[in-house]
Amino acid sequence: MRYAIIGFGTAGYHAAQAIRERDKAGEIVVYGDTGLAPYNPMLTTYYIFGKLPRSGLFPFGPLEAIADRLGLAFRHERVVKVRARDLTVETEGGVERFDKILIATGATAFAPPVKGLAEEDSFLMRTVDDAQRLKDRLDRGDVKSAVVVGASMAGIKVVEVLEKYGVQVCLADLAPHIFPLAAYPEVSAAIERRVAKRGIDLRFGATIDHMEVREGKNMAVMTDGAQVPADLVSLCIGTRAATQVVQGEVEIDRGILIDESMETSAPGVYAAGDCAQGANLESGERQIIGLWANANRQGAAAGANMAGGAARFEGNILHNITHFMDMDFIGFGDNRIQGELLEQGSLDGDGLYVRAVVAGGKVAGANILDSYRISGILKNYMLRLFTGEGGGVPDYQRAMLLQAGLRPEFIDRMEAMTRG
Amino acid sequence: MSRRYAIDLDVSKCVSCGACAVACMDQNDLKVKEGARPFRSVFDMERQEGEGTVYSHLSLACMHCADAPCIVGCPSACIKKDPDTNLTVFDTTNCIGCHSCAMACPYGVPGFGEDGKMVKCDGCYVRLHHGLKPACVKACPTGALKLIDLDGPEEIAPERSLRQKSMGLLERQV
Repeated sequence: MRYAIIGFGTAGYHAAQAIRERDKAGEIVVYGDTGLAPYNPMLTTYYIFGKLPRSGLFPFGPLEAIADRLGLAFRHERVVKVRARDLTVETEGGVERFDKILIATGATAFAPPVKGLAEEDSFLMRTVDDAQRLKDRLDRGDVKSAVVVGASMAGIKVVEVLEKYGVQVCLADLAPHIFPLAAYPEVSAAIERRVAKRGIDLRFGATIDHMEVREGKNMAVMTDGAQVPADLVSLCIGTRAATQVVQGEVEIDRGILIDESMETSAPGVYAAGDCAQGANLESGERQIIGLWANANRQGAAAGANMAGGAARFEGNILHNITHFMDMDFIGFGDNRIQGELLEQGSLDGDGLYVRAVVAGGKVAGANILDSYRISGILKNYMLRLFTGEGGGVPDYQRAMLLQAGLRPEFIDRMEAMTRG
Repeated sequence: MSRRYAIDLDVSKCVSCGACAVACMDQNDLKVKEGARPFRSVFDMERQEGEGTVYSHLSLACMHCADAPCIVGCPSACIKKDPDTNLTVFDTTNCIGCHSCAMACPYGVPGFGEDGKMVKCDGCYVRLHHGLKPACVKACPTGALKLIDLDGPEEIAPERSLRQKSMGLLERQV
């Protein structure tokens, strides 16, 4: 068998590993245009912050060692086109035919052009190069002020890095609150109070309009007319699935549409990771859930199936954990769904705070602040409800929740509200 | 020869005596006075259910899941399976303290030390390499904690085995 893996992030890596477990002799060709080992975009800010050495960005080790371990043929080339019907991969060097193809091209950061913003002052935060560029610039020591656009998980981590370097930071977003896709407004407001207390200038309902030079200083002119000093601008607005190589070949929505076996609409062509749009167990719709664990599960299932297995990955729910500025924010599910409220603790930072919304007998969403300990069990409970399993909270989970500070009344009420 | 082990609890035999937690502290030189907790937690709970009272005696730590969600969730690949024992072990050199492993664990097990890095039960895999049992299993006076060979016959009946009782719950975790 001949396998092609297009893109070598964690999804591609897990697929290669799963193929090799089942097919010791098959030829696995990996196409990658970075020439780098699989890296984790989430780690980029930790590298700049100094929590990780550069090698720490590559969780599975150097590329050569991975290629040796898994018996991969690595092609440092950009793929121009994948033809689904012919199962071919086209690069500038030629066309090759395969038996199975995995698209694991990931996602790229996108940002609209900002008028007047010099390229050298504009920073994204996704790739190893992005991280190195920002680190090199900050290490020069001439950055005194910055604007970060995008009050997302990536945005706040960039703010944290800039703060460490002593940079005066403004964090702006057109949304009304921080973490608008994951946090309930009350929780957002509490986080904003804490971030503002550290001296971060927060501006919501506004973004950068253009840059101007005033009295020799770079100034960001915001859409609300405010002027903010900005030696550099970091654009953490979002990512887009990299689907170009299969445009017109397989069904694509926001990402490449896949079923539970990770196969696309074209037989023999699979997709996994941030370019793929699999099931959201909460909504029942297909949605890109661009998370490390999701990419790993999808990649492993795709690889197993490419090698003749029958693996399934049913999907996931939206979930986020962000540890920043000495706090934990954890968000599960859809924060737009309204329902009955379950709440414990105070938002003032004196221990566990949890807010859950129950709708239709399920925990539709939850936010946790300042405690990671209950998060795994709560997510598990949500997942069990979404997949139609009841069973309540068994004693071994209850014991750990109580030890972590969740009150028995919270657990009892959650069980009562979700009893089928 | 490599084996696949896990540590299981026979819930009918646990009496919440705490010997396992003490053995864990001793084995791992945990500085309890400085705030460290044993990797094993012992519970003695009673709860009203309908007309009656339900009593639970539990000793809980890492279940060394066959398909461990913490391994999949760790962004730095700090957690892995020990090739000789299949226990879930870790090297936290590159742990960034993000708590993703905790969010992945349906048992609420991973904790974090003073240095912000993850700590949990590693199954005493080094003891196993030397032909010894995990400290908690050795210390358990009632035989409730057992080192289980996943490829051998079940040693604890399904209704009394914490591992088997919770397997369905684990399958839902991603």
